[in-house]
This record gives sequence, structure tokens and C-alpha cells, in this order.
Amino acid sequence: MNSALLIEGLVKRFATGKPAVDRVSFDVPAGEIVVLLGPSGCGKTTTLRCVAGLEHPTGGRISIGGRIVSEPERGVLVSPRERDIGMVFQSYAVWPHMTVYQNVAYPLKYRRSGGGGDIAAKVGDTLELVGLGDYAERPVTSLSGGQMQRVALARSLVYRPQLLLLDEPLSNLDAKLRIRLRDELRRILKQTGMTGLYVTHDQSEAVVLGDRIGVMREGKLLQMAPPDEIYNRPADPFVANFTGASNVLLGKVLERSGDKATIDLGAAGRIEAWTPHQLSTGDKARVALRAENVRLGERGPANVFSGRVIERRYQGMQTVYDVEFGGQRLEALELGTAARHETNREIALTLPPDQCWAYRDEGQAAVD
Amino acid sequence: MKMPQAHLRTPRRNEALTATSAADLPISTDAARPSRRLAAPLWVLALLLLLTFLVIYPLLMLVFGALSDSNPVIDGFGKFSPSAKHFLEVLGNENVHLAFFNALAACGGGTVLAVVIGLAFSWIVVRTNTPFKGFIAGASMVPLFVPPLVAGVAWGILGSPKTGLLNTALKWMNIDFRFNFYSMSGLIIVFGMYYAPYVYMFTASALKNMDPSLEEASEVAGASAFATIFTVTFPLIAPAILAGSLLSFVVMLGIYGVPAALGAPANINVLTTYIFQLTAWSPPLYNTAAAVAILLMAVTAILVWAQQRILSGRSFATVAGKAFRPRSLNLGKWRWFTFSLAMTYLVIVVVLPTLALVIAAFRKFMFFKDFDALFDMRQYSWVHFNSVFDNPLTMLSIWNTLKVGVITAVIGGTLAFAIGYTVFRTQVAGRKSIDMLSTLPVAIPGLVVGVAYLWAWIGLPGGLYGTIWILALAFVARFIPDTVKALSTSFLQIHRELEEAAWICGRGLLGTIRTIVLPLARPGVVASMTLLFVLAIRELGSSLFLYTSDTTVMAVLLLDYYEGGNTGKTAAFSLVQTAILAVLLSFTTWISRETTQSARFN
Repeated sequence: MNSALLIEGLVKRFATGKPAVDRVSFDVPAGEIVVLLGPSGCGKTTTLRCVAGLEHPTGGRISIGGRIVSEPERGVLVSPRERDIGMVFQSYAVWPHMTVYQNVAYPLKYRRSGGGGDIAAKVGDTLELVGLGDYAERPVTSLSGGQMQRVALARSLVYRPQLLLLDEPLSNLDAKLRIRLRDELRRILKQTGMTGLYVTHDQSEAVVLGDRIGVMREGKLLQMAPPDEIYNRPADPFVANFTGASNVLLGKVLERSGDKATIDLGAAGRIEAWTPHQLSTGDKARVALRAENVRLGERGPANVFSGRVIERRYQGMQTVYDVEFGGQRLEALELGTAARHETNREIALTLPPDQCWAYRDEGQAAVD
Repeated sequence: MKMPQAHLRTPRRNEALTATSAADLPISTDAARPSRRLAAPLWVLALLLLLTFLVIYPLLMLVFGALSDSNPVIDGFGKFSPSAKHFLEVLGNENVHLAFFNALAACGGGTVLAVVIGLAFSWIVVRTNTPFKGFIAGASMVPLFVPPLVAGVAWGILGSPKTGLLNTALKWMNIDFRFNFYSMSGLIIVFGMYYAPYVYMFTASALKNMDPSLEEASEVAGASAFATIFTVTFPLIAPAILAGSLLSFVVMLGIYGVPAALGAPANINVLTTYIFQLTAWSPPLYNTAAAVAILLMAVTAILVWAQQRILSGRSFATVAGKAFRPRSLNLGKWRWFTFSLAMTYLVIVVVLPTLALVIAAFRKFMFFKDFDALFDMRQYSWVHFNSVFDNPLTMLSIWNTLKVGVITAVIGGTLAFAIGYTVFRTQVAGRKSIDMLSTLPVAIPGLVVGVAYLWAWIGLPGGLYGTIWILALAFVARFIPDTVKALSTSFLQIHRELEEAAWICGRGLLGTIRTIVLPLARPGVVASMTLLFVLAIRELGSSLFLYTSDTTVMAVLLLDYYEGGNTGKTAAFSLVQTAILAVLLSFTTWISRETTQSARFN
């Protein structure tokens, strides 16, 4: 078996309400980093904690390195300490009554399969790796947030677990530090060849760190794909919206062939779009597209419309326009410090068919 | 809203904003009225004088007593010649040493036991899925409300070497072992069981506030549950454990009732019982009592200081600032084991002693031929209750207790409000000294307050001594730190801007307090007054030295019955006192809950 982590039909139900995790399946091949992305309450952290063994699943199967660690139907439940995993917590969870060295050496001392070897050397190497070589004897409470998170990372890497779990490890840090540590985290994980499962609500983290990204909502895994596919071929209107395609045009399907569809937008005319859904003629449809993919003042080969700028919001590095055409409204984004289009003037706009994505309209509310 | 007045102020503010130099600024109205400027210093001075009268003067008289060998009753204060000689003699006395080391042993042993019980309980309640956790958490606080003397009396009935009920049961079961609670180990066990809640309170909240991922990290890192508890959990809450155990040690050190009931029959004196013995001799050794009281106070003060230091230091457990759902460990079948552990404790601490008191109170004679005689209904009657209520002192003591309770609550509550407002809501000079003086009694055991008040008033002719006012004033002084603390939280919850808004609307300081602060702080005021009332009606330590036959209170009368040697009457009156306490306690809890609920608007 090649997968370092295999999850099949995972279900976690708390006492009340909908299941927190609803039949989630995916795998993480050895050496790959998979990011679970979604808004808070989507079940991503619960999934991670089920893999860690800190939450007990109510259904499905979890295997780590080919060994089943959780399968409630057969009464299998391996305790966290026997799963050979490492975990980095959102709140760092470094032990404040110990020094940096003691924190990192802790797993080597208390693991049953102690790992053996020279504890001091292993700790020293790992601290070097995370850039804390000179801090070994400091009490952790004297460190900054970013340094504490490095200690937590070193503590979970020092014994080279089969699988590393990271639960929003950067979200307690300030914005600048978050970006720096994010890039460094990728370097360290790739350098050590770790297999990782990473949970975040931050798209930019997901794109930089993930070999694949899984977008979750209300306990369900909506799409699991490499970052560029998530961004260019979102399989679900929620995925499209969550990753930034905030414009939605409503219409009816005229015809579809393969993954190409033509949608009737009423007074605005018709639009060609890519679709992952099996749409049939007459279906209600919603077309999603990114504000930055709207070409203002351009007449392309297809999907050309004529509209009017209602409002212009200058934001320095970019300008946002509210555009109205044939009873539909959308936001367009123009990069650069100069705003070239005036309000209340007729304007041509092109919506490239490849960047318009049509979905079946199931009346779901857009998320902010 | 008094809008017109707000308008009146607006132009002046504009003027101030456009003024180009200080000379152009309008003269403030406060500066124009010199009487206003004097009000604050006068108020601070009045509070300081009052606190000096309540706290400092008695303490000075205590030191004065310890440093002299003149008897204030016989000699008056004229023949006072201070010398350290007397004090040093007392410190060198063997009996004092013995009482001192007995106290350290009893309280030290009791604290160790209290830590074990308190820690186990907080872990069970906060960290496991033991059934009926809420009930266990609530019931484990019950020992705090049991008056120490009642606990001592009950355990005497249960564990006296010859007639103890436990020993009767053991004999019936043909087990050769006999309990003897009239001993140092008996003292330690009863201390440990009844003062464990102090440790529990500190450790439970520390466990609740601890980031659960600290323990999860250890588990994921491969440590066993056992290793996690001892390498992560307990070290992290070490400050709370230490603070809780120091507090329980200090409380035990100041307790009179338990060692009086269990130590006295075996001739084991601790500092508190020794001090009382000195004043009960004839002639009473007031000077020696004062000297030993100062020793007791010094030990207490050092420990309280240490405890405050620990609490003010940064606690480990709150490193990450976010709200947690405390982790609860699934114990599986073992949760019934922890449940039965908790139940055993509750049975031993609450059910057994109550049962013992009931049996002793209703049984004509405490002699049991065998275990079956326990169920011989002909042996039970109301005779002890009748004789207790035939005694005119009984009703007098109940009446006196209620009077003292009400006086203490009213005076203490008002004073605490004045102090709390001055310290927490104003910037007047001298508020730091007020704060310090009002926290000082934290370090003074009740018994020492009693001796100090005795010294302060016994020599003054026609004064306070012999009235219930001296009891009430001593209680106010003793409990003022607790009352101010209870009130301070409700002061801190009232946002400053609520008061400032009233000032802007044109209200004066007193008007603002009356119309804004007092109504908003009412739940806190009522709660702290009821707290004071309850504390006052169960206080024994400081009453011992201040009562006379006209002003006897329930706690003192109970001691009288106990020392009179009639177990039946003692048990009967214990039950009466407990019942009255329980009724008043539930009544006052109800009142403060009502006021809290009707004041939910902030």
C-alpha cells in the first residue's frame, strides 16, 4: 500500500445536529502534503482530530501507513500515542514549564518505541532545521509566537513520524510573520520529505503549501485536486465562491455538449461557459466568475456584452467597478494604480468562456 | 435625560478647543468652590480613621499586651511598662513550642491529605466523563459550610476510642481494628477531609482554564496517560496546587473547633486551643495569650504573603488566550470507579457525620450493648432537644446570633461599599492606604482578632466590652477583606462610561452613585452582605473572647454544651445550629439570586 494516510467514508457525529464529518474519503500518498480548506465549522479540524485519534469517529475507516487505526464498525481504535503521528496545534501547545530543549526532547523520552539513539543530537539537528539552534536552553515562555510555533514543529518532527498533522498552525501569528513562516514551513516539510495533512481556512496558505487541496463544507469534502485545478476548474459553486469567484449570473440552460454549456441570461443575451455538471436544457443555472477575469473595455472572440459602470471604487493598487448589463450585475477588477473607466458610461465587456463556470442552480446562498 | 444641561456645557467645550493660551481657558467650576476640594481628602481621612479604629488600634493593643505583664482588668493601663522580656519568655516556653509543632503537624498533615483529595476531585470533575459530575462538584463544596466545631463533635461521636459508633460497628463485624479520632491522626484526617474544597477550588479552575492541546500534544508525542498527568498536567497547575494548599493550611491553622473537639480529650493542644486555654485559666493569662496570638498571626501572615505572591505571578496555564472546551477523558467502565470514589468521600464527609449527630441527639444514652441496639426504637426520644430548649440561654443565643449577623452585614456591607467605591472607582490620593488597611485582616486568624479586641476594649470603662456591638465590630474587621473582594468584581463590571454619562447629564458624584452605581451594583452588594451574614453567624474563633453571659452566641453555646460533656445535648444543639444555618443559607442564596436576576440588564 502506497498511501501514508487513507480515509474511507469517515463519519463523525456529535450528540446533536448534522454530522460534523459526513462520509469523507481521500488519501495522502507518502511525501505529499494535502491541505483541507474551508470556513470555520466545515469539519476540517474534526477530520484532522479523528486522524490524530483525539476525536473518536462514528463511522468509516482510517489507515495510517497501511495499518487500520480506526474503524468503529469493527471496534478498532488505536490510541493517539500508538499512531506514529506528529501534530502541530493552533495554540502551539508548547509546555510552558519546560525549556525549548525539554519540549523537543519530550517525545524521544516518553515514546514507547523511544527511537533510541542520541537524544541530544536529534534535538540539536531538529532545532537547527527550524532555525532555533541557539535557543535550546531558553524557557519557551520567553519566545515570540512565531518561535513557539517553531518549537512545536520541531517537537513533532524530531521523531520522524509517518504522518504530520498541522491544525491551523499559522493562524495565531500576525500577517507578516504568517507569510514568512508559511514559506519556511513548505521548505522544511519538503526537505524532510514529510507526509502532511494540513488544515486551514486561509486560501493563500493552502495554495502555497498543498500538493493537493480539499475544500470542505458542512462536513462534506466537495473537491480534492491540485491547487491550479481548484482555482481554474472548481467542481462546485461553493468551491468557486470560496476561492474568490464572487460574481454570479443567473440564467437558464439552452444547450450543453460535453463540458461546454450555453446559458440564457435573459435581457443580457446568452453566455458560453465551462461546466462540470450534467446540465440539461431548461435547467436553472448559475454562472460564477472572478472579478479579475472580467475584461472591461475589450471585445474578445466570444461572450461580449455591453454594460454600464454604476460605481467605481478606487483602492490604490486596484480599482473595483460595479457593472450592470441587461439586468445582471457584476464586479470587475482592474489592476494597476490608474482607473481608466468612467462611471455612467456605456462600456464593452468580455467574459472569457473558459473562465465562466456554470452550475446547476440549487438555490444555495452564496457564502461571504 | 437632562439635555438642557448638556447643552449648557457644549459652548464651554468649544471655547476651550479654540483657546490659544491657558489664560483664555474658562475657570473650572471645581476650583471656584473650595469646599468641594476638601471633600475628597476629608472622606479619605474618615475612612482611614475608621479602619484604624477597627483594625490598627486592636492590633496595637495586642502588641502592647504581649510586651507587658500588667493585667488590664486589675491594673488598668496606668501601670504599663513595655519590655520584650515577657514576649521572649513566652517564645521560649516549652508548652508554646509543643502547641506550635502540634499545629504544624496537624495542619501540615491535613494539607497533604487535602491536596490528595482536592486534586483527585478536580481531575474527576473537570477531566473525566464520570457520571453525575455536576452533583459531585456541588456536593463536594458542602464541607465548607459545616461549622468546624460541629464537624469535630460529629467525628468525636463516630470515632471516640471507646463509645464511637464506628468502633461499635467494627466490634459487631468482629474486626479487631479500632478507630481513635481523639488523636493527632484523627485531627489530620478531619482537617484533610473538610478543607479539601479549598484545594479543589484552585485546581479545578486551573484545570478548566488549561489549553487542552497541551495535554493532547503530549499524547500525540507518544506519552502514556499516566506520564501525561505527571509530566504535563500537574506541573502546569503547580502554582494553583501550591496556592490552594497554602490557603487550606492557613485556614486550618486558625480553626478552633476541630482541635477543641478532637485534640482536647487526648491533651493535644494546637496554637488556637492553647491561646484559649490561657485566657480560661484563673487568673487568666491575657499577656501570654496575646504573645502566642502574635506568633500565630506572624506564621499566618508569612503564608498568606507567600500565597499572594504565587497568585500574582504569571500562571502557566493561561499562556494561550482563547476559550476552551475542557477535555473530558472517556474512562469507560472505570468511570463507575471514580464515581464510587467520589460517593465514598461524600458519604464519609456528609452522610456519616449527619447520621452520627442524629443518632446521638435522639438517643437517650450513647451506650450500645451491641450493633442491634442501634435499631431499638425505644431508646430514641426528644429528651435532649427538650432540655436544650429548657435552657433559657438557647433562645438567647439564637436571638443574639441573628442580631450580630444583621448588624455585621449592614455595617460591614456599607463600609465595604464605601471602601470598594473609593479604591476601585476614584483616583483620590490615599486610596492605596485604604486598600492596604482593608486587606490587612486577611492575615489575621479569627481567634487573634478576638484576643486583639479583648485587649482593645476590656480595660476601657463603660465601653463596648460586654455588648454585642463588640462582636459585630470584630466580625466586620475580620471579614472586611472578603466583603470588599466580593464587591469589587461587581464594581469592575460596571463600565466607567455609565458613570461618566451621568456626570455629563449633570448629576453630582453622590447622585450618580445613588442613581447609577448602587442600582447596578445591587446584586453584588446583596451577595456580599449575605456572605457577611453567614460568616458572622457561624464564627466561633473571635467570639470566644468577646462574649459574656448576656451576649452569648450559638457557636459559643455549642462549645459550652460540648465542654459540659453531655453528648446528647451537644448533638441536639449541633443539629439545631446546622438547621438554622441551612435555612438562613438557602434563604440568603434565594435573595441574592432574586436580586441578580432582576438586575440582568447590564
